Amino acid sequence: MPGTLVDRLPLPNLKAYTAGSAALLSMAVYYALTATSQAGWRAGGGAAGAEAAAAADGALEAPAAPAPAPPGDRNLTEQVLDVATYMMQEPLCMWTLINASCCALALAGAGLQRLVFGRLRVAEAQRLKDKFWNYVFYKFIFVFGVLNVQYMDEVVLWCSWFTALGFLGIMAQLCKDRFEYLSLSPAAGGWARARLLALLLLLACAAAALLAVAAVYGLPAGWHTFAFMAAECVLVLVSCLHSLARLALQAADADAAAAPVYYTHLVFDMVALVVELVDALHMVLAHNMALSAGALVLLLQLRSLLARLAARAARHARYAALRALTMHHYPVVPGEGDTCAICWDAMKDARQLPCKHLFHSSCLTVWLQQDPSCPTCRRALLPPAPPAAPAAPPQGPRNTTIHFNRMTSSRYVSWLPSFSVEVTRAPPPPPRAQIDAMARQVQAMFPAHSLAQLARDLLATRSAALTATNILEGRLPPEEEPSFPEPPPEAAPPAPATVAAPTVEPEPEIDEEDDKPVEVQFSSSSHERESLLQRRKRQLVAEARRRYLARRPPAPAPAPAPPAPGPAS
Amino acid sequence: MAGSALRRLMAEYKQLTLNPPEGIIAGPINEENFFEWEALITGPEGTCFEGGIFPAKLIFPSDYPLSPPKMQFVCEMFHPNIYADGRVCISILHAPGDDPMGYESSSERWSPVQSVEKILLSVVSMLAEPNDESGANVDAAKMWREDRAQFNSIADRIVKKTLGLHQ
Ligand SMILES: [Zn+2]
Ligand SMILES: [Zn+2]
Repeated sequence: MPGTLVDRLPLPNLKAYTAGSAALLSMAVYYALTATSQAGWRAGGGAAGAEAAAAADGALEAPAAPAPAPPGDRNLTEQVLDVATYMMQEPLCMWTLINASCCALALAGAGLQRLVFGRLRVAEAQRLKDKFWNYVFYKFIFVFGVLNVQYMDEVVLWCSWFTALGFLGIMAQLCKDRFEYLSLSPAAGGWARARLLALLLLLACAAAALLAVAAVYGLPAGWHTFAFMAAECVLVLVSCLHSLARLALQAADADAAAAPVYYTHLVFDMVALVVELVDALHMVLAHNMALSAGALVLLLQLRSLLARLAARAARHARYAALRALTMHHYPVVPGEGDTCAICWDAMKDARQLPCKHLFHSSCLTVWLQQDPSCPTCRRALLPPAPPAAPAAPPQGPRNTTIHFNRMTSSRYVSWLPSFSVEVTRAPPPPPRAQIDAMARQVQAMFPAHSLAQLARDLLATRSAALTATNILEGRLPPEEEPSFPEPPPEAAPPAPATVAAPTVEPEPEIDEEDDKPVEVQFSSSSHERESLLQRRKRQLVAEARRRYLARRPPAPAPAPAPPAPGPAS
Repeated sequence: MAGSALRRLMAEYKQLTLNPPEGIIAGPINEENFFEWEALITGPEGTCFEGGIFPAKLIFPSDYPLSPPKMQFVCEMFHPNIYADGRVCISILHAPGDDPMGYESSSERWSPVQSVEKILLSVVSMLAEPNDESGANVDAAKMWREDRAQFNSIADRIVKKTLGLHQ
């Protein structure tokens, strides 16, 4: 597994590791072959007893015991059996075998990864590497620090147990990361999801099976052993089930901010954290608490787990408080026909803030966790301010040292973002001159609209900002539009040409395809959208280049010479 | 989480495609990752950046629109409010929570009602009227204040460069 992750690791890559393991294994087999071909090898080993616990000591003497019996009469199966038995007893061969099975697992992991995930992305590989080293580190501490195992076969058993679980855990982590990645893309195919689903189901089954194994073999050895064995199984199982739940929720297109979804995640997060915490606590208690490095590491881990649990609980408390706040103080009103300004989806029932702005209940809750103010008008939602929520920073004196660009410019200020649009306010109607000034201002931005039309709209809205918003949102199409009735106002790309370079005729030096105006459309195919976007970009650049050259021709050619040197060619 | 972000981004992309503000194009470069967009911004008329087409990258967080995207010009830029690496320093791109220095009032900061379109329009206005008190690019701010002619000539060189015109 590790070899596939990152090249920067001080780990051999998978190829080298496989080659090394294969070489070691063949050497061990050869060694075992030569050793077993000397008859009587069994006597040395057998004398020490065939019991596994004593095997390590006994096997050491085995090769040294010379035996005169001729090996010629053994058949192949017997020989294979002999070799296998010998290898199980001889510690060096034993370790080679363990290494070989690790290598096989790594190969299987790499194969699975190729099959299900394809190439790993950098972030995934990084997360995987972190998880791997973290896991190895803590399990090492556990096996040698906490359990303090005395016998080789116990070490082997624990190591193989954790290797298997680590394998499952790493795969589960990969699934989780990949799922998050898939949900970033609308084009992600169902096939990728299906493979992910299959792998997750497989992993969950494997984890459950291992849990059963832990119950069957661990329980007889005592509760401690069982708890240590089971903890990691449960963690992997929870992680898989959480990913499966996410998949299901996404397939059902559940509203991510709604309460049921939130509580699903909460439960999974909490269960995982609690299991991890209990496991760590158990380790600390089982440890003899000698002031060793192992104990220190465990305590540190315990502390960080506690902090994570506390943070999660605090987050939930905040969520619950805000939810209660919105539930009790902001009424639900019918919001049909409106769209929620947070998610841009249509609303059926909406929550109304004191400032009369409407949002989805769930959207509002999620936002308020971030900042307790109305998203539209930024009015602080003071009433019973939630405990953890910081009050809005005071405005005023500090403004002299402003660090960021403020939209205080005369030319753009009136309609630029972050200025509230308050429909309910009704100031006295502005004088005619002011309307005209605003109309000119808006017209500078939207040349397709006539002054008269803008003035009419401005009389109703009383604000350049609102009129600009109306135009932007297509509520105020330009009146005289002879040939294109359907495309929205200033959507047609050639529009700039009429403003900037009316006297210069366009030069047809770019690709014919690019020269055609891109029809205004939003394709449902992502490939078409991509290529359309590329074309629009090329067109914009070509157009800008033409206009630049028309305005400031390059040195050799005088201003509006018709066959000006084509910059695109 | 990412699902609602995706829906909202798709809606914004559609709006920007069907109803684009003049001189501005924006959309995901590769729809495999809908959370990384490229935008082309035309330098505002009557300013030293007039006529340039400035490409910028927009990276959206998975909880968009609760948190603002990050914006970075991918062409050379020389402007008081743009860092040397192209990152844009305007208040609308700052989440209400992170204001270590307490410089801004929250009313100018990010909120979910903002959008890609509004960000890009803010950037256009920033190009038109730099705020020379900003510390994003001290050299540019100083030159903007003290040597406008040289600033303009640098801007013109950048404009030409973005258009692929060399002399
Ligand atoms: Zn909503
Ligand atoms: Zn409001």
